[in-house]
Amino acid sequence: MSGTVVVGSGMAALRLVERLVERGHRDLTLLGDEPHAPYNRILLSAVLEGTHRPEALELRPAGWYATHGVALRTGTRAAALDLDAREVELVDGERVGYRTLVLATGSIPTLPPIRGMVRMDGTLHPAVHAFRTLADCRRLDEAVAGSRRAVVVGGGLLGLQVARALSVRGLQVEVVEGGEHLLRSQVGPAAGRILARDLRRLGTSTYTGARAVRLVTEHGEAGADVDGDGDGAVGLRLDNGYTLPTDLVVLTAGGRPSVALARAAGLDVRRGVVVDAQLRTSDASVHAIGDCAEHDGRLTGFVAPAWEQAELLASHLSGDDVTHTGSRTVARLRATGLDVAVLGDPEGARTLPGSEVVEVTNPLQGSHRSLVVRDRVVVAAELVGDLSRVGLITQHYDRGTVLGPHEPGHLLLGPPRPPVPGGTVADLADEAEVCTCAGVAAGAVRRCSSLEEVVERTRATTGCGGCAPDVRQLLAARPSLTA
Amino acid sequence: MHTHCPYCSLQCGMTLQREGRRLEVAAWPEFPVNEGGLCRKGWTATGLRGHRERLTTPMLRDRTTGELRAAGWDEALDLVASRLQELQQESGADAVGVFGGGGLTNEKAYSLGKLARVALRTSQVDYNGRWCMSSAASASNQAFGIDRGLPFPLADLERAEVLVLVGSNLAETMPPAVRHLDRLRERGGRVVVVDPRRTPTADRADVLLQPVPGTDLALALGVLHLLDARGLADEAYLAARTTGWDDVRRVAAAWWPERVERVTGVTVGELHALVDLLTSHERVVVLTARGAEQHAQGTATVLGWIDVALALGLPGRPHAGYGCLTGQGNGQGGREHGQKSDQLPGYRMIDDPAAREHVARVWGVDPDDLPGPGRSAYELLDALGRPDGPRALLVLGSNPVVSAPRAAHVADRLRSLDLLVVCDLVMSETAALADVVLPVTQWAEETGTMTNLEGRVILRQQAVAPPAGVRSDLEVIAGLAQRLGSPVPFSDDPEEVFAELGRASAGGRADYAGIDYDRIREEHGVFWPCPSPDHPGTPRLFADAFAHPDGRARLVAVDHVGTAEPTDAAYPVHLTTGRVLAQYQSGAQTRRIADLPDTGAFVELHPSLADRLGAYDGEPVAVTTRRGRLVAPARVVDTIRPDTVFVPFHWVGVNQLTNDALDPSSRMPEFKVCAAQVEAVARAARPSPGEPVEVAR
Repeated sequence: MSGTVVVGSGMAALRLVERLVERGHRDLTLLGDEPHAPYNRILLSAVLEGTHRPEALELRPAGWYATHGVALRTGTRAAALDLDAREVELVDGERVGYRTLVLATGSIPTLPPIRGMVRMDGTLHPAVHAFRTLADCRRLDEAVAGSRRAVVVGGGLLGLQVARALSVRGLQVEVVEGGEHLLRSQVGPAAGRILARDLRRLGTSTYTGARAVRLVTEHGEAGADVDGDGDGAVGLRLDNGYTLPTDLVVLTAGGRPSVALARAAGLDVRRGVVVDAQLRTSDASVHAIGDCAEHDGRLTGFVAPAWEQAELLASHLSGDDVTHTGSRTVARLRATGLDVAVLGDPEGARTLPGSEVVEVTNPLQGSHRSLVVRDRVVVAAELVGDLSRVGLITQHYDRGTVLGPHEPGHLLLGPPRPPVPGGTVADLADEAEVCTCAGVAAGAVRRCSSLEEVVERTRATTGCGGCAPDVRQLLAARPSLTA
Repeated sequence: MHTHCPYCSLQCGMTLQREGRRLEVAAWPEFPVNEGGLCRKGWTATGLRGHRERLTTPMLRDRTTGELRAAGWDEALDLVASRLQELQQESGADAVGVFGGGGLTNEKAYSLGKLARVALRTSQVDYNGRWCMSSAASASNQAFGIDRGLPFPLADLERAEVLVLVGSNLAETMPPAVRHLDRLRERGGRVVVVDPRRTPTADRADVLLQPVPGTDLALALGVLHLLDARGLADEAYLAARTTGWDDVRRVAAAWWPERVERVTGVTVGELHALVDLLTSHERVVVLTARGAEQHAQGTATVLGWIDVALALGLPGRPHAGYGCLTGQGNGQGGREHGQKSDQLPGYRMIDDPAAREHVARVWGVDPDDLPGPGRSAYELLDALGRPDGPRALLVLGSNPVVSAPRAAHVADRLRSLDLLVVCDLVMSETAALADVVLPVTQWAEETGTMTNLEGRVILRQQAVAPPAGVRSDLEVIAGLAQRLGSPVPFSDDPEEVFAELGRASAGGRADYAGIDYDRIREEHGVFWPCPSPDHPGTPRLFADAFAHPDGRARLVAVDHVGTAEPTDAAYPVHLTTGRVLAQYQSGAQTRRIADLPDTGAFVELHPSLADRLGAYDGEPVAVTTRRGRLVAPARVVDTIRPDTVFVPFHWVGVNQLTNDALDPSSRMPEFKVCAAQVEAVARAARPSPGEPVEVAR
């Protein structure tokens, strides 16, 4: 019998356990089916790109778990939940009892229906890669070495990150997106077009409105490639008739909540495991957080809201009276050379009654930025190609700041500029202060004939020294007595 | 006569010359910290001499009429001593509290702590240095095993290649220090400033990062993240000279650049550029000041930046490392000699039996008679007049009615006392509440040592005779000790007290045993530790070892939690506080000097925010927090973040706004950020919104 059992060992699961440990909980068990201790999954594309060392992904030192009363069981897959007995059954038949169960099973990649992709034995064709786990990342990383070309299937955030990573690694990359534009879940067509242009500039072609339908080899359909003697080169046929020759195919066509355990156990499941404002499922001793949970009809899909849920659940399990009211999301593309930030759901928000859209598009510069404003609050935004103002816009969005009527414009175009003080130093009025350290006005400097006299009589320039150029100019502009 | 400025921790050397009846300030070019330079505060420092507001006689308040009346010294001291004894007989030794200051000389700080522990036997002693650099002190002790603001002379900065200033505006708060920055830049070095405002210091920087107030730690974690991710940490140094890196890098693993951007407002591109700059140079110095330290997470924030310095392999290398720019004149020495609630002289801890034994022997008392640790500064003030708190308070060198957080509450606590005794030069806002006001000497009228921000012990020398009727703090302390029946004598001669302080500090972390007044005069100051007369002093620390028993520095894993009072719908703006060039601390001295401009409080806000509020430059705005409300003129400037307002704290009312949430380790209040509501006052007769906003430069 264990106290709290968490199914899953991803980022939400670890955050929950960290917070429970801080609150004095012990007797915690993490059941993770991956062979690794919890790691920072969202940086896998940076690892692939080569800008993040894989050893720097780990979120806690190996010894942390045991010293904090956490049983971390890696490589452990749960097969079923027995809600009546309050037990988790593992694939090897072992049963793990719990007082409180938390499902943090995350999501699983959606595999698009591409013929020839899955071989007879159910495994992926060697040229085809998913990109969800550290193991996926390592397998792809190894495959990069012997490859020249790659096709990324899916033009969402992950797809673009992987495409850029492979491109930075020197591969020639193409992106296939079934929707009409890139990042279609996050941004509108204008932003998508800018992105496609940016990618082209960076050497990556995109095929939008096209579906990959078949994996082929020179011998025909890949699944029939029984001799397996190919050099790895395959072709990806699209429904528009093109066939893209490639060495690698990476599937990044999104994911769906991992709900099989919950559904089989009879918990209320729609798209995700349905939870209430305390993140309880339909069984009061079972909670769900992160990508697998559905609250108020919404899935999350990002780490920040998953962490918010983990922290809220830790408070709830510690006896605090807390309520989950949903999260604000900021999606930020992590890809060298592409600047994208998406705050909230701009496509959904702009169609709501009362929404106003403030938008600046500059195709010459390759930027498209729009703010969706309702009741003077930024409720969503898309920023592509120009992130110079992302920090402040994100602050206003996250804090729900009620803005003035001109501020959305300021946020995109820059604030009102202060007037430039007219004239040169020589034109300063006698009473204008020149030296702040010593409090010396221009007139006092003008009454002196040399820098030495200024120092002696006024002490200007002797503090921080910042006024020395101005003092020299004032002295140089003195009317000459001999003239 | 060579001496030092009465104000900040730079303790600029200066010369005082008698010209007839006048006392003139002149340069002392040979003193290396400021090389003859002074700011206007220093040049005008003699302005309080002969000032009509100078107090020259003890004053006693008649509680029935509320009036203060002049009294003789014996009457005043007899009254204070007898009332303190009565209150202690009724309510125990801790019924009397002592509140000191970071501007007191080492001799006064030492004697004040001794007065509390030996003559009053109270544990209730602390000082306003808690509100200065205490978070850096706490962090340095944890990381390095020692707390000296700078581990090297200030002039060492000139040969650094990169200087990172986290929350320091030294161009305004200590202008003569800027010469060292300028020389660094003349040699091709680069300066990075981290500040929510583009200050005059930032104007001289190559890189300015303007994070959301209260997020400097997240920024440090972002730097650590990239150092680890990109394999740029100095692993050889970390392995040889430190412990704790593995825990730190794991916390940093959760602070990827996009997350840092969301929390701090510093963009991913800016963060990468900072890391590129830090890792492409050998000689990098990271300095923190109040901006990083005055937070409920101030210690953690400093630890985060120390972790950055250690991960880069900086501390102990020439012209590189971490340091704190201490604020108050004797912020350094004031925290070393026993006016802190948990410490005895020499930076010894009061709960360490060996420390108690040593100090008790020097004092000639039984170690068991020394009290234990007491309350920290704010907690002490907050407890005043409560059933378990002190009933009387003795204040030296501090003006908490202006300088304490949640100051209206603190004033209420002071009013609830049975007896408030304040020693001051002038009728400060705190003295105005006192039952007994004792007029004391100022700076040029007395002698004593200070320890500047470098850990250099310097000597202020008496240049003129004090006005008749005024006594030195040391005389007041000695007079009270004698009247309280102290078991051991108290000297009122500064040089004698310094010698005793040296013996008490011997063997401690801040060892002054080898320093005397003559050496200080001859050597332009002496850097502690200096354990014996033949020891040269220690200008540079950590070259071979850190001060922990194993010689290693500790990287401490810290995580960003956020500010104690986040903004919300009712209080949507960040309020931050700070200083201006022409004023010092609570302004008790500088506001009375005619040659220093006294602008009164003002509210800096961004044109975007001004436009939102309908506020105009120079016209009043009201800043309201959960603790108070202040109306002051607006200064509309584009140098501040649009989500933040800034108010300098030198005037009454400003700290009535600030938050008394405390750092768990240093007990530092969160002066630097709280949630505020800002509104334009008297909206009538204004142009309609939408007309151009006026901006001041």
